[in-house]
Amino acid sequence: MKENKKYLKIFLYTLLAIVLLILPEIISNSYYQLLINQTLINAIVVMGLNYITGMTGQMNMGTGGIYALGAYGMALLTTKTGLSPWLGLLLAIVLGLLIGRGLGYPSLRISGIYLALTTIAFAEVVRLLLTNWSDFTGGAIGVQGIPKFSIFGYTLDTDQKYYYMLLVLTAILAITAKRIISSKWGRVFQSIKDNPDAAEACGVNIAQIKILAFTLAAVYGCIGGALYSCLMGYISSNTFNQDLSINYLIMMMLGGIGSVAGNILGAGLVTILPEMLKVLENYYWLIFSIIMLIFAIFMPYGLVSVPGKIMRYYKSKKKRW
Amino acid sequence: MKGVANVETVLKIDHLTKKFSGLVAVNDLSIEMRKHTIHALIGPNGSGKSTTVNLVTGFLKTSEGTVKYHGEEIQDRPIHEISRKGISRTFQNLKLFKSMTVLENLMVGGHSKTEQGILNFLVNPVKARQEEKMLKEKAEDILNTLGMYELRNENIGNIAYGRQKVTELGRALMCDPKLLFLDEPAAGLNPTERVEFVSILLKVFESGIDLFLIEHNMDVVMNISNMITVINFGTKIAEGTPKEVQNDTQVISAYLGDKYRK
Repeated sequence: MKENKKYLKIFLYTLLAIVLLILPEIISNSYYQLLINQTLINAIVVMGLNYITGMTGQMNMGTGGIYALGAYGMALLTTKTGLSPWLGLLLAIVLGLLIGRGLGYPSLRISGIYLALTTIAFAEVVRLLLTNWSDFTGGAIGVQGIPKFSIFGYTLDTDQKYYYMLLVLTAILAITAKRIISSKWGRVFQSIKDNPDAAEACGVNIAQIKILAFTLAAVYGCIGGALYSCLMGYISSNTFNQDLSINYLIMMMLGGIGSVAGNILGAGLVTILPEMLKVLENYYWLIFSIIMLIFAIFMPYGLVSVPGKIMRYYKSKKKRW
Repeated sequence: MKGVANVETVLKIDHLTKKFSGLVAVNDLSIEMRKHTIHALIGPNGSGKSTTVNLVTGFLKTSEGTVKYHGEEIQDRPIHEISRKGISRTFQNLKLFKSMTVLENLMVGGHSKTEQGILNFLVNPVKARQEEKMLKEKAEDILNTLGMYELRNENIGNIAYGRQKVTELGRALMCDPKLLFLDEPAAGLNPTERVEFVSILLKVFESGIDLFLIEHNMDVVMNISNMITVINFGTKIAEGTPKEVQNDTQVISAYLGDKYRK
């Protein structure tokens, strides 16, 4: 039985890998390719948010601000100095480390709704700064001509080629996230959400752990932003509004809090579903919201909890017979 | 008490005072706890017992006075630092990690004893796996001695209250404490569970961990403790062996009641 399960798992993972590898060949539509690339980027950001809000229980509604700083870091570095986007990616990581510390410190003193407000304020400050400091950031016009990545002289000039790079990066970050979540780190993150007093009585330095969770979230968020810059080739500050931060929270909750697979599923659902519904024209956003509401009511533990529920249902049926 | 005087002092609470604005919860309290003792703190409800434990373990800031652990002042230090010095505690109202299993609860208790930092964790999966395995084995060992090995994979919310209390004790033991504070360990347990819990406590004590307990249950207190401090309205009214305390008129009128009057 256990062996069977293992083989099934290997089979499913191989199948998934094959599908992901030939995906660009299946979909020839360039718009869908762009959406899938955006999904991968969103998945990275959601995996980051999962550390701090999903696992540690610290409400972060400033993901848009983190994402914006990553995106502008990349855009400004590459367009103003002409350096390679790889250095932009490095800068994004450094920015993430700094933001994580900066956002982490207030979270030591405040929590709950006050922390949520503080992080909203952070995102708004970032957005206003980017809009109004037009000499440096291009203001509302934004930054144009962000270069594409190139590997050993081979430029990833189409979305199809960029897809493979994003796939590799997402896989690396997903495996890292999975490792962290299912280790002692994941456990202490969760212990802070469950009962901070008890965690501290166990000798856990919760200040340090909260900052760690914030830093991981910010690094993932900034990497996502930087990759987004290169995907679009053009960014402007209007993109990084409060809706964006909320969207990331919705992705995390719909997919399943605390689960990497759930994060990726949630990112896919919230990125792709609205586009699928666009055939409904004026009503698409209404229908999308209704679907989200239904998901939230009937699957409070997210999409990722569905297979387990089905399995349990069948098991209980078998027992009854 | 001559022979006792030579034994090393583990914990020295000196003129400890805690005021909540106007209310004096703990008033000029001095307690000396010696090595290899089970020290009990008793008193009526609201007399400041839990406040005292919270002051020593860092959950409250002291107003006046000092707390010395092996000669080192520990009052007003952060909770996790005090814990890392070897002082563990359990809580009056259970504080467990509700989303985890019994085993995971214990493993969080051992987290501060692990060495690997996050960067090393990311680049060295082999050591990470070893550490995880060690932590798990240690938790399983402790669960085994507490008689809870079979329940290790149960979610903490699904087990009985008495078992949850034992889990909390196990979690405290994961930090390798030298001194363990127990805030009403027998409260809410039925007589069978209580007997079992006391035998577990004695086992813990025999393994070299000193116990400091707050307890209302007189048969538990009188049977297992070597030294008892009685407080009322935050002030110490008596101290001594169980026998001395039982015969103290002040203690009888304030707390024990006429049953103990000879």
